[in-house]
Amino acid sequence: MEKKRSSEEDLGKELEALLAKASPPRAPAWFAAKTLARLRQEEVREGGRSWWVGWRWVWAAGAAALVAAWVIWDRPKAGMEISDAEVFAALDALVQQDEENRWWAGL
Amino acid sequence: MVAEVSDEELMGQIRNGDEEAFRILIERHQDRVYGTVARMVGGSGPEVEEIAQDVFLRVWKAAATYRAEAKFTTWLMTVVRNLVFTRTAQRARRKDIDGSDPVDEETGESIMARAPDPAGRTPGEALSFRELERAVEEACAELPENQRLVVHLRQYEGMEFEEIGKITGMSLTAVKSLMFRARETLKKKLSGYLGASK
Repeated sequence: MEKKRSSEEDLGKELEALLAKASPPRAPAWFAAKTLARLRQEEVREGGRSWWVGWRWVWAAGAAALVAAWVIWDRPKAGMEISDAEVFAALDALVQQDEENRWWAGL
Repeated sequence: MVAEVSDEELMGQIRNGDEEAFRILIERHQDRVYGTVARMVGGSGPEVEEIAQDVFLRVWKAAATYRAEAKFTTWLMTVVRNLVFTRTAQRARRKDIDGSDPVDEETGESIMARAPDPAGRTPGEALSFRELERAVEEACAELPENQRLVVHLRQYEGMEFEEIGKITGMSLTAVKSLMFRARETLKKKLSGYLGASK
């Protein structure tokens, strides 16, 4: 299609003729093939990355579930109290054990 | 003979992952994209090729969201403009601008200067042609980025000012003003060649 040209708005005939002698370079040979090869390369790379990104969330979710389970399992049970008598009995048992050990050792 | 498929139809096929449609689209527009990138970045070579490839890779990725609201070439040139402007800004930050031709490491001779002349001109004619070509390239390269793009799209791609306005995101008046300023600068820089070009 012939473009409407106005010498006032455009470069002017002389300058246009000069610029026409230095046309921009053309794409090198195999440009399309090389671009397609790069596309495939990038898709493979991105495919690998998206797989890893997907699994990363699975790993993170698994780890978070394990931590939550451990915290729940480890927390003190509600209503669980140790009476003073139980504490003293345990201490007495330790003292008793120590005395027996010393007796057997001849001390 | 197979009827030529429009760019918009090709984009529809590319949306469905059709690599053959993509190859046709590349072959149809590769010279336009490569030439524009080369003129904007300066010279030709691996960097220009990489940016031109980036343009087409972006087209592939954008195919899913592409809507044929404007002419395909207008949209394509907008992609070119955005990528080139981003790349030149990065390059300016790195301050590694080198406008010279690639040079043979052993002889120091310009590789471009010794390439065979495709038009079959005599060495003398080829030399003066290359000199002219280089002067034009240098004069264009010295224009501010927006002026260079406007001149290229108008002169070499034959685009209307309205289309150029859409690509550059400027008003019609602003585009024409850029063209006027570019013309004045080019006239001054190429004054030595203007009389001889007739």
